[in-house]
Amino acid sequence: MSVSLSVRSSLTGVANTMAILRRELAAFFFSPVAYVVMFLFVLSNGVAFYLYCAQFAGAPQHITYVVRSLFQFAFFWVLPLSPLLTMRLFSEEKRTGTLEMLMTAPVSPVQVVIGKFLAAQLFYMVVWSTLLLFVVVLEVLGQPEGPDWGPVMSMYFGLFFLGTLTNSLGVFASSFSRNQLVASILALTGNLLFFAVALGAWIYVDNPDFLRIFQFASFQAHFSSDYIRGVIQLRYLVFYLSFMAFFLFLAVGMVESRKWR
Amino acid sequence: MAQERLLIEVEDLSKSYGPVRALHGISFSVGEGQILGFLGPNGAGKSTTLRVLAGFLPGDSGRVCVAGHDVGADSLAVRRSIGYLPEGVPLYPDMRVGEYLRFRAQLKGVLRSRRRRFVDEALEATRTTDVRKRIIGTLSRGYRQRVGLADALLSQPPVLILDEPTVGLDPEQVRLFRQLLDEVGRDRTVILSTHILSEVELVCSDVVIIDQGRIVARNSADKMLGVVGGGVSVMAEIDGPRQAVRETLASLDGVSRVEVGEAVVGSDGAHGGRSKRGGSSFRRYRVITSDGPRTAEQVFLSVSKAGWKLRLLEREARSLEDVFLDVVGRHS
Repeated sequence: MSVSLSVRSSLTGVANTMAILRRELAAFFFSPVAYVVMFLFVLSNGVAFYLYCAQFAGAPQHITYVVRSLFQFAFFWVLPLSPLLTMRLFSEEKRTGTLEMLMTAPVSPVQVVIGKFLAAQLFYMVVWSTLLLFVVVLEVLGQPEGPDWGPVMSMYFGLFFLGTLTNSLGVFASSFSRNQLVASILALTGNLLFFAVALGAWIYVDNPDFLRIFQFASFQAHFSSDYIRGVIQLRYLVFYLSFMAFFLFLAVGMVESRKWR
Repeated sequence: MAQERLLIEVEDLSKSYGPVRALHGISFSVGEGQILGFLGPNGAGKSTTLRVLAGFLPGDSGRVCVAGHDVGADSLAVRRSIGYLPEGVPLYPDMRVGEYLRFRAQLKGVLRSRRRRFVDEALEATRTTDVRKRIIGTLSRGYRQRVGLADALLSQPPVLILDEPTVGLDPEQVRLFRQLLDEVGRDRTVILSTHILSEVELVCSDVVIIDQGRIVARNSADKMLGVVGGGVSVMAEIDGPRQAVRETLASLDGVSRVEVGEAVVGSDGAHGGRSKRGGSSFRRYRVITSDGPRTAEQVFLSVSKAGWKLRLLEREARSLEDVFLDVVGRHS
């Protein structure tokens, strides 16, 4: 009896999360911000892609460098992308008061936070997937052969898990403030801090232990040393997923606290 | 009445926002099938109370039970048994009405097989079927209000909590809303807040008046009109010496106060207000009393005994507005 009850309640939990996920995903596709972000993303990467192609035009054997350079350039988007996508999630609901509607329905803060996070994660992957267009162009037009798909796949693997960190950070930042701008700046600063950790590796360049720690704690290092070279490093996932759990936990706490008016 | 099931119980509820004390230990209860009007000026603590009832804000102290569940301990069960319309009707502006209600029905745990029917019924009841395909952001205030109401009715909950439900509606929509509340109120418990008094008079079976975080009056709507704030008044137009009339009226049983109005100079030709004995004219007297019918009778008797003229004699129910102003004024 109690087992079937708990199974049923966890099923409604999943159903609630899915309902919120669907609505948030739809909201992404309706939101001008998401489209502007996606447009700028494609535009800037398109320009970079064109320049790299021009640079390597005389050396067809370097087609893999074009792909690598493209991803290296696009990697700058890691800083603003998640903050821009996630800033809306809670801030807007708080500002317009719809959070009151949402939280007085029989849903738990965990379901709400996870639903919103998953929607952001999915849309984040949609934005990144536009890069595949350029790789496909190389595949079709590349002579004598197209690019190596290995690094592309390992990059996407890395970007997905990096997204769990940056998006959960963004969700937390959004639960913090009713002002979207404040939320996005908070999340951006958080991302910058993760970038800054990499600097430690240069300061303590003589100490191999410190170096290892900084290597592990900086996602910039994960990508430049592994994912972009086609290496799928599973041990970094501990880093991403534990930060994800931490930020989502904080976000749930913020939603539960109802300190706002 | 003794066996009445209480669907909303509030005991000694207090709530502060930082240093500002919004509620000072209020207590009240609402029985099954009652429609309680929660009346008070802006900033009295109405919305705060309703938010606590709906499980959105926690109270600082006190006990709040809705539909038999404690709001603090069993918030999910409470939220499953209420339909809540927050102040200002916050809705997602980017969704279509039907889409929004389906989303809400899903969140409220309406089974898939019933979802379509429940959405249809809620649209029907609030007369919003014609806007089901419209995007909420493009709707007028009145329609948004009704979509919010449809949302509250959606899961057919036993308790409805409506915060200022008629703000933004035009008179025709207010009339429809009252009709609707009459229909749904039959088998539901409703608590609605408002500062529009005529609404409470027409719709509610019971009234709680709250001011500055304290309950200042609580009664059934009828009793509130009769008893609180000095009862009923009798209005008479009498032609006679002002001072003498006033003293005579004031000496009647149960009379607490006599207000003397301006001389009424008739202007409607045929039944002319001007007395045939030139110069003298009718004057309006309002007699505040605890027993309207008896006082009216006595006014007539004493006026005719003194040989004055009586042109109009009318019993006036004290409007809730008078009561409200009396009660709130007394406490502030």
